[in-house]
Amino acid sequence: MLLNPAERDPAARSRLIGALATLVILWPLFQAAEVKPGVLFDPGNLKVIGYFLAGFLPPETGAEFMGYLAKATLETLAIATAGMALAFLIAVPMAYLATGAGREKATLNPVTRSLLTILRGIPELVWALVFVRVFGLGPAAGVLALGLTYGGMLAKVYAEILESVDAAPARALRHNGAGRPLAILYGLLPQASKELASYTVYRWECAIRASVVMGFVGAGGLGQLMDQAMKMLNGGEAATILLAFMVLVFAADGFSGWLRRALDTPPAHRASPFGWRSGGLGLALVVGIVASFNYLEIGLKSLLTVEAATSIGEFVAGFFPPDLSAEWLARVGKGVWETLAISVVGTLLAAVAGLLLALPKWRAPFSFLLNTLRSVPELVWATITALAVGLGPFAGALALALHTAGVLGRLYAEALANAPPAPGQALRLAGAPGGFAFLYGTLPGAAPQLIAYTLYRWEMNIRMAAILGFVGAGGLGQLLYFELSLFHHAQASTVIIVMLLLSIAVDQASAWLRRAMR
Amino acid sequence: MSFRLNGVGLTHANGFAALKDITLKAEKGERIALIGPSGAGKTSLLSVLGTALAPTAGTAEVLDFGQNFRLTVALAKLRSRIGTVHQAPPIPGRQRVVTAVLAGKLGQWPAWKSLASLLYPLDIPGARTALDRVDLADKLFARCDQLSGGQLQRVGIARVLYQQPELILADEPVSALDPTLALATIRLLVAEAEARGATLVASLHAVDLALGNFSRIVGVRAGQIAFDLPAGEVGVPLLHELYASEGDELPVQAHEPHFLPPAAANDAATRAACC
Repeated sequence: MLLNPAERDPAARSRLIGALATLVILWPLFQAAEVKPGVLFDPGNLKVIGYFLAGFLPPETGAEFMGYLAKATLETLAIATAGMALAFLIAVPMAYLATGAGREKATLNPVTRSLLTILRGIPELVWALVFVRVFGLGPAAGVLALGLTYGGMLAKVYAEILESVDAAPARALRHNGAGRPLAILYGLLPQASKELASYTVYRWECAIRASVVMGFVGAGGLGQLMDQAMKMLNGGEAATILLAFMVLVFAADGFSGWLRRALDTPPAHRASPFGWRSGGLGLALVVGIVASFNYLEIGLKSLLTVEAATSIGEFVAGFFPPDLSAEWLARVGKGVWETLAISVVGTLLAAVAGLLLALPKWRAPFSFLLNTLRSVPELVWATITALAVGLGPFAGALALALHTAGVLGRLYAEALANAPPAPGQALRLAGAPGGFAFLYGTLPGAAPQLIAYTLYRWEMNIRMAAILGFVGAGGLGQLLYFELSLFHHAQASTVIIVMLLLSIAVDQASAWLRRAMR
Repeated sequence: MSFRLNGVGLTHANGFAALKDITLKAEKGERIALIGPSGAGKTSLLSVLGTALAPTAGTAEVLDFGQNFRLTVALAKLRSRIGTVHQAPPIPGRQRVVTAVLAGKLGQWPAWKSLASLLYPLDIPGARTALDRVDLADKLFARCDQLSGGQLQRVGIARVLYQQPELILADEPVSALDPTLALATIRLLVAEAEARGATLVASLHAVDLALGNFSRIVGVRAGQIAFDLPAGEVGVPLLHELYASEGDELPVQAHEPHFLPPAAANDAATRAACC
């Protein structure tokens, strides 16, 4: 097999080199993330985590607390909905400008792309921290932070989805003289609408989680309540809040499933494709958004005054010039390395666990497990894993892995369900055992989607790894949190800039990887 | 005996009866063409023979395997002896041609070999030989999404050649190929079956391809067998009766190659051939 050069696999050499290079790169990252599986089973740690979890029972159910809980839940929903509305307003025009879809020449818009990168590159929690200082404590900071970050994310993913569908219909329309917007509406949107809609709804779920986390920096909602409960080590209240949170996420999940099924129903046989359902949904959406803004009492006018503008100006000016001394840069560099290590290790562990959980096809116990994993935000997982393995990067990596396994498992399951069934079916009919029909038939069809999800999630995890330091899980976040609490704005500014640069570097790297794997 | 269907019926969950009281028997090494209008039940009949669907009435025996096709080890063994050429090639676009061809033997290989072959293709000469027979040896290490629809269809055929099944089923195997290539491909399948003493059952849209290459012709209409005759005894009036629902012209090979993707090709070709 190997003797005759003509019968040798020409790809084998580069594959081997690729595998070795991956190992060489991964090894120091695992070292930096201080991966020590043994710590998980350390009797001392087991005792601490056991004691903490025991405090969860029974969950707090007092009437007064339930009142607070209901109010905070509504506030969280409203922050997420208002933030998503803002994000959508930002995302649609930006995606249109940024995407190469429907263009006759594949020109990408570098200005819009870099603006999107800046919006996404700075984590929403950092935006929220900044806005809280400008606009004061309250939901306004959360809505703005969500709107900016998620606007950037949505725009990027919209642009990518439009680029990933078959371009031929839009190209044909353009050759027939249709303008670019119409070519996209008629040629690409019908193919992409399902994925676009399901991604938007999925993002709204993420927004709910994010608004909880932002409560930790004083932006209202369930997070603020959770922060208080955790600070007072009130396990009962924490358990109730977590439960409320899961119910929210499950409800959003059910809603998103219903919506996607509704998109699948063929349009009615009449001139207007919109029936009572789409009309009702549109109305509910508008009412929901208006109600959210009203509930939060965000006076948009007060945000647009001269005083607000000057206070923003002064605050921003305080961040310049950034501290670029060699000593500080060295510390930041170490933080970057640790952040990278946390994100890589966390994502890898999650990808393996997620794929294993996705294989049983989204059946009851597994879907419950996946939903539980992903409905608890990384930051909350980090507070728990820090108890289990001690403060440090390993806690961060584990927290990322737990949450991301839930997210990826769900996305993987969907991608596998959407993969073309014919190849796997044909192999089973040719006698292949189920597992191999999957490996040779189904997996290659789903692989681009799986890899895209994993890479995209890794990008998000780098940003998340930077934040996990806020609860002591290592990386850049720990530096930023210290410097901001000490009002060392010049040093904090360096960290924020480095976070942005890191995010841009990740963008480039993942775009390159995607091209290489195509 | 290669297969024996006795009073086989197939009723789908929605109540549609795709097959009604089909009795059909084939000896080892026979070469049978199924013809009939679209929607007559040719694909359903092939699905029953391929054990993809279990009949809802009657009994079906395929090779030496009787009655109901329940998923068992024995059924998987049986299936590795049946090779199917599908209407649309069921091959993932991102797979390399060599892997797609080798996948034909997943049912025969031990697990370690199937796994290892994902990392390094373990039978490159075998795959090359199979591809050579469909004139695609130069595409051995190409990726399937770099091939045209017709080339991909021939990769699907190469996979079945590589599998070396005892029963070859082909569901409109050449509807995505131009007439010259279609004829060559049908001849290849017939020759392969002849050389190895395998049974070949192919559903064909073009009547001329069927009559010119197969010894036995089975006409299917509305889920039932309309006739089952040696090719020489199938006359024009019989064919007109079979295709009565599709107009006056008999479907024959399209006179010029068409450039449609394989999924859409069938419908368009049907219409093109009938007008």
